[in-house]
Amino acid sequence: MKLLEVESLVTELGEADNWLRAVNGINLTVNAGETYCLVGESGSGKSVTALSIMGLLPADRFRHPDGRAWLHEPGGEALELLSANDEQLRSVRGRRIGMIFQEPMTSLNPVLTIGEQLDEVLRIHRPALNAEARRERILTALGEVLISDPANRILEYPHRLSGGQRQRVMIAMALICEPALLIADEPTTALDVTVQAEILKLMRELQARYGMGMLFITHDFGVVAQIADTVGVMRHGELVESGKTFDVLSNPQHAYTRSLIAALPERLPRSPRPPASTQTLLAVDNLSVYFPIRQGLMRRVVDQFHAVDEVSLQVNAGEVVALVGESGCGKTTLGRALLRLQTTTTGSIHLEGQDITHLSRAEMRPLRRRMQVVFQDPGSSLNPRLPIHTSLIEPMRVHGIGEDDNARTRRAVRFLERVEMPADSLWRYPHEFSGGQRQRLAIARALVLEPRFILCDEITSALDVSVQAGILRLLRELVDEDGIGMLFITHNMGVVDYLADWMAVMHKARLVETGRTAAVMADPQNLHTKTLLDAVPRLNESFLQTRSGRAPTEPETSCQ
Amino acid sequence: MTELSADTEMKQPSQPWTTQVAVSLLGRTSARIGLSWIGLLVIIATFSPFLASSHPLYLVVDGQASSPLLLHMTALDWVWLTGLPMILAIALLPLPLWKKFLSVLVGLGLTAMIAYTVVSPPALVIYEQYRELEATGKVETMIRAPIPYSAKDYLRDYADTGIESPLLTSEQRTHWMGTDENGADVASRMIHASRIALGIGFIATGIALVIGTIIGGLMGYFSGIVDIIGMRLVEIFEAIPTLFLLLSFVAFFGRSIYMMMVIIGITAWSGYARYVRAEFLKLRQQDFVQAAVACGLPLRSILFRHMLPNGLAPLLVATSFGVASAILAEATLSFLGLGLIDDPSWGQLLNQAVQSSTFNWWLAVFPGGAIFLTVFSYNLLGESLRDAVDPHTNRSKRA
Repeated sequence: MKLLEVESLVTELGEADNWLRAVNGINLTVNAGETYCLVGESGSGKSVTALSIMGLLPADRFRHPDGRAWLHEPGGEALELLSANDEQLRSVRGRRIGMIFQEPMTSLNPVLTIGEQLDEVLRIHRPALNAEARRERILTALGEVLISDPANRILEYPHRLSGGQRQRVMIAMALICEPALLIADEPTTALDVTVQAEILKLMRELQARYGMGMLFITHDFGVVAQIADTVGVMRHGELVESGKTFDVLSNPQHAYTRSLIAALPERLPRSPRPPASTQTLLAVDNLSVYFPIRQGLMRRVVDQFHAVDEVSLQVNAGEVVALVGESGCGKTTLGRALLRLQTTTTGSIHLEGQDITHLSRAEMRPLRRRMQVVFQDPGSSLNPRLPIHTSLIEPMRVHGIGEDDNARTRRAVRFLERVEMPADSLWRYPHEFSGGQRQRLAIARALVLEPRFILCDEITSALDVSVQAGILRLLRELVDEDGIGMLFITHNMGVVDYLADWMAVMHKARLVETGRTAAVMADPQNLHTKTLLDAVPRLNESFLQTRSGRAPTEPETSCQ
Repeated sequence: MTELSADTEMKQPSQPWTTQVAVSLLGRTSARIGLSWIGLLVIIATFSPFLASSHPLYLVVDGQASSPLLLHMTALDWVWLTGLPMILAIALLPLPLWKKFLSVLVGLGLTAMIAYTVVSPPALVIYEQYRELEATGKVETMIRAPIPYSAKDYLRDYADTGIESPLLTSEQRTHWMGTDENGADVASRMIHASRIALGIGFIATGIALVIGTIIGGLMGYFSGIVDIIGMRLVEIFEAIPTLFLLLSFVAFFGRSIYMMMVIIGITAWSGYARYVRAEFLKLRQQDFVQAAVACGLPLRSILFRHMLPNGLAPLLVATSFGVASAILAEATLSFLGLGLIDDPSWGQLLNQAVQSSTFNWWLAVFPGGAIFLTVFSYNLLGESLRDAVDPHTNRSKRA
């Protein structure tokens, strides 16, 4: 049964006479009990499509020159959503269409309890229910999304819940009025892989139980492989390819789809690696970082929070070590401690044989050029108030590299070419670049000092796959050709597989497993490593075999 | 295109950040309006003795030529007159910013020392003597200032002077903006008061801004123990009642508007320190600051090049309001009798507008308008400066 039918949807964003076509002639149909996955890179118009259907675009900032979006009611009549007035849309939202957003941390109101927020939805859409019935309904809904002890949970405020639990509450809120259609905009992107696996499983189960139609937006082909019945690939506001998931993924017709799938890190072509060097660049021995928990008037230390606990690690020249773990496991703190950006509690750090654990700020300064860092967020990794030129030249000037600014500028240009950026980037500001370009510039800033060791803290996790592929290739080249040692912090197993020679798995402040990447991937020894590897949604041969006919298989078989 | 631009851009010297900001600032209409009004005030303030004075610029009596105006110029007048060209000259010198700042301070200090030891105008000033001389017909040549009344010339030689509207001036004298309750010319008093308006803005807010930024910046960047001590210092200064501090200083050292400005500045920094601290606490965890630390950049660069420009926006808005409230604070002080008794100030004139039973519109319109324009100019300047330091707003410009 058809639930949602979108016909040649065109959405333009802007104002006055300055309009940008964000969605251009999309056709899609979501059937009851099926999942339609919209997949594409950032800026391809996936979210705008969803918001257009929900009528949630900012008022007076959009227009639809063309297109229809029919929401079919069970009785046979249909509501055209694009031309519906506010009153009609309000009655449909929540009751017939539920929506889940990407960021679970901000989609719940922090000053209301979970119960109150769920109750409000019911009060509006089910006015016939009394307080007791509503409470019953809320408890059932929370039970369905597998939240333990719902009777107590409804009294709690959102900050008491973890990201995964909040996303469950969001799902419960979207489903509490039993909508026929659920629109999910990257609902698992901000979550850890293990949590993502649970949420995806839950969504599949709920869909099977209620026969909902789902419009699922994602950028991750692994997720598509797990959840979609039909998939549509979007680029520049257009649907370049759509079809049954198996057909599209196993035999993509459009060149763009093929390039996207080929850009997945686990599918990137690998060049032979030069023999690994045995020269130890960075050695970490029993390193711990504790944060004191202070209480009371005198700020007495009552306890220690163990962020990093007795970690030993070694990075050789010309090798990439991947540090893997869930959010909050202490991998970023470990990285910051290695660079002496964070004071350590015990243990030692040796850089090229020199103990740097207790060096003072001033003693550390000349050593800084030997160890550099690239951060995760392309939005804040470069000083927005300075042109790229200043960001690149200043560190060289401080470390006395190059005799004058002209020499330094030439040097900066050379490194810009190394990261495949044009030389005229020098005179521009960070906001004039895309996320991927900014990460390249951040890498260039790290490289101008000719470091021996680079720490990369999730530097590709905010980027699209095709951009990520370019950066990963670049990093591999740098390591192979210049013999740089690299510690790469990530949660993406595909990236680890492509890039890393060694991997170290971190769990609750401790290293639980270390080994050659191939060995750990093939035969994880630690239980936690196993869970982590199992949870990764993958698009590989075994998936394509198991899901060849569209059979609702168990997740354990569909992912490796 | 990339080939070409890469070639040409390579030769382009990198402009320092301050130059970029200045260029971008001057490109804005609102900044130009604000700057031109403040510039006009600076010129008026510097040349105020030549613009409005009862003393003739050039006088020939009985064949003897003299310049009573130059004779009666105070040390402060000389400091202003030499100070302005000196500041302009230093600003054009190719020196780093902090050296310029330092040399301006040193230069002004030296000029003030020399001026106060050398210049000694006559203690007894008889404003009406020139008018009497003129009436007796002894004067051969006399060149007067455009407004021939000093700020403290209460026109005692005319019998019944007092508050007069500009429309009701008698034949012998014209007062473009009327007279105040003592019979002094309002235009003259306003011209002489422009120094105070400017001084309040620059000195009080400037001192507060410098202290507040440094202390707030250190608190925010280092946090921990520095932050705890700094915040206690902020709380101590917030607890000082400025008014009583001013009272005791007036009791010990006499009335001086410049001393008051300094005191206002020293007690008003805590607000700026809080703003800067909050911004820095937020910024120090930002990746580009961490990257700057990881590059081994010196603390001065991290604080003032990487952090401060990014935390400037709330500070600039606060500053433009701070200048406005400093000007108004001076008006309040004058009203309370803490401020100047005899020396002119805009606030004092404004207070006279409603003191008598009639509403004296010229005492409301002219000083009120001047206060409004000055406060408005500082606000315009503050907002343009905020936009100028934000590269997102001038994306068409390329450094």
